[in-house]
Amino acid sequence: MNSRSLLLSPNPNSLKSRFTKGLLRALSRINKHRQQPRSSREIRKRHRLIKAAAYGSMASSVGNRRAWSRALLWKIRNQTRRGYAATRNIGSSTRQLSMKKRICDLQKGNNSKNRVEVGGLGQVDKLRRLVPGGQVMHTCSLLEETAHYMKCLATQVKVMTRIVEVYNIP
Amino acid sequence: MNSLLNPQTPFDSSAHDDFLEQMLSTLGPSSCSSWADETPTAPPSAGNSDNNVVFSYDDSSNLASKFRSHQISAGAAASKSSPTASAAAAAAMMLQHQLMMSRGGSSSSGNGAPMGLSLGSNGDFNDVGDGSSFKSPNPGGGDGGSSVQALFNGFTGSLSPNQPQHFHHPQGGALQAQNYGAQAAAMTQPPANGSAGASAAQPRPRVRARRGQATDPHSIAERLRRERIAERMKALQELVPNANKTDKASMLDEIIDYVKFLQLQVKVLSMSRLGGAGAVAPLVTESSEGGGDCIQTSANGGTRGGRSGNQTASSNDSMTVTEHQVAKLMEEDMGSAMQYLQGKGLCLMPISLATAISTATCHPRNPLMNGNSNNNHPVITSNGGEGPSSPSMSALTDY
Repeated sequence: MNSRSLLLSPNPNSLKSRFTKGLLRALSRINKHRQQPRSSREIRKRHRLIKAAAYGSMASSVGNRRAWSRALLWKIRNQTRRGYAATRNIGSSTRQLSMKKRICDLQKGNNSKNRVEVGGLGQVDKLRRLVPGGQVMHTCSLLEETAHYMKCLATQVKVMTRIVEVYNIP
Repeated sequence: MNSLLNPQTPFDSSAHDDFLEQMLSTLGPSSCSSWADETPTAPPSAGNSDNNVVFSYDDSSNLASKFRSHQISAGAAASKSSPTASAAAAAAMMLQHQLMMSRGGSSSSGNGAPMGLSLGSNGDFNDVGDGSSFKSPNPGGGDGGSSVQALFNGFTGSLSPNQPQHFHHPQGGALQAQNYGAQAAAMTQPPANGSAGASAAQPRPRVRARRGQATDPHSIAERLRRERIAERMKALQELVPNANKTDKASMLDEIIDYVKFLQLQVKVLSMSRLGGAGAVAPLVTESSEGGGDCIQTSANGGTRGGRSGNQTASSNDSMTVTEHQVAKLMEEDMGSAMQYLQGKGLCLMPISLATAISTATCHPRNPLMNGNSNNNHPVITSNGGEGPSSPSMSALTDY
């Protein structure tokens, strides 16, 4: 059963096939590297590697066309460069950036009267935290990025389930 | 007056000649025809001259005449600067005049004149929508006015930057000038940039805002922004599976939950990718949110492996225990056996299929299984097996 061709036959240039290729390559690299992890710490580390591989291959197959993919790629590159602790720092620095931006926006907003926010109950903030790179975006571009991000996540899930099925991992 | 309509304005052949001529020609006859179509109170002679149509509206006739004089003077003044500028100014005045006429019915009828829509339609001056809802003159927001904006883009392309000021200047006293100023301001800014700060800086008389129309560039920008956000929300709604469409806040909640769910799925899948090496971390209990057959089985498999304490020996023991259990159940009742298996995240399938899959799995080119062959629980978790029909197969094989 040629699993790879099954996945890629419809359209070799689509997002799905690019993502699949990248993911499989990354996974094979991971498995080549590591020995069978025994301790739970190693297992967790491997989990993270695989998850990073999934997100990273998704982001690189999207490329630099989207703000969220750029943010994700940047984060992963810094993460691999400086180790895992770097992600925490990056997270806080983006938060600082976003705070500064919010302050500037608020000041601008005070000049122009009643700027109607989407508001909700802090839902937009939650969305900002979920979507990578969402901290420093305006609301309407955030919504656009969310739509594309959702689509890519769904593709990711489909491909990964298919891989699990095909390789028959319990 | 007619000189303004005639395209024989005194300018040499420039790149904008044809464009201006075309625009002026469309302005003239189409405007009159549209007015004739839409308003029964139009002048009896729907002539080609603007004058008749101008004076058909009593409220604004005085203003119109005043405005005309302003226009002509402005046009005359502009002719010194550049011929194209004057023609452009004249054409712009024509446009503005049309707009004024369109809004001339403001004080008379609450519904406004439908000709505002004639300019608001996309590139076709003859096309006038129903006068039911008076669309705002802001072209950036809706589909209206893109033609107007195109015209103005043509103008501003040819004119120097201080020409818009020139447009605004003679309208200082006009009643509807403020609307025009707001519109021009909104149009000279690219509509994607919803910032409200770039209106023409001059004192404008305050006008009571009509329904659906804004007099303030700030509120125009607000509306732009709100419309864009609404568009995006609608697009998102189509992506999310359970689209209630009731309310923005609940829609946002749905979106957030769905994104969280997808991210959780990715996380679970990435964990299950490691094979049955035990300690799959405590997978979240809410993994069963639909579409989660695979997740559930992997969760069950994972937790089962975890419970067995990361020991291959003990898991093998549990396998044989399970086998015995299933065999016992199968003697009694196939259904309960199947249920027991499914509870464990397993299923039955014919041996031929199992061997086929196992050979495909243990193929040397498969990179994923190499590191996992020791600890693999090779139970097949696909629930599409042959279950209840053929009881004589077993899938609980150890490799």
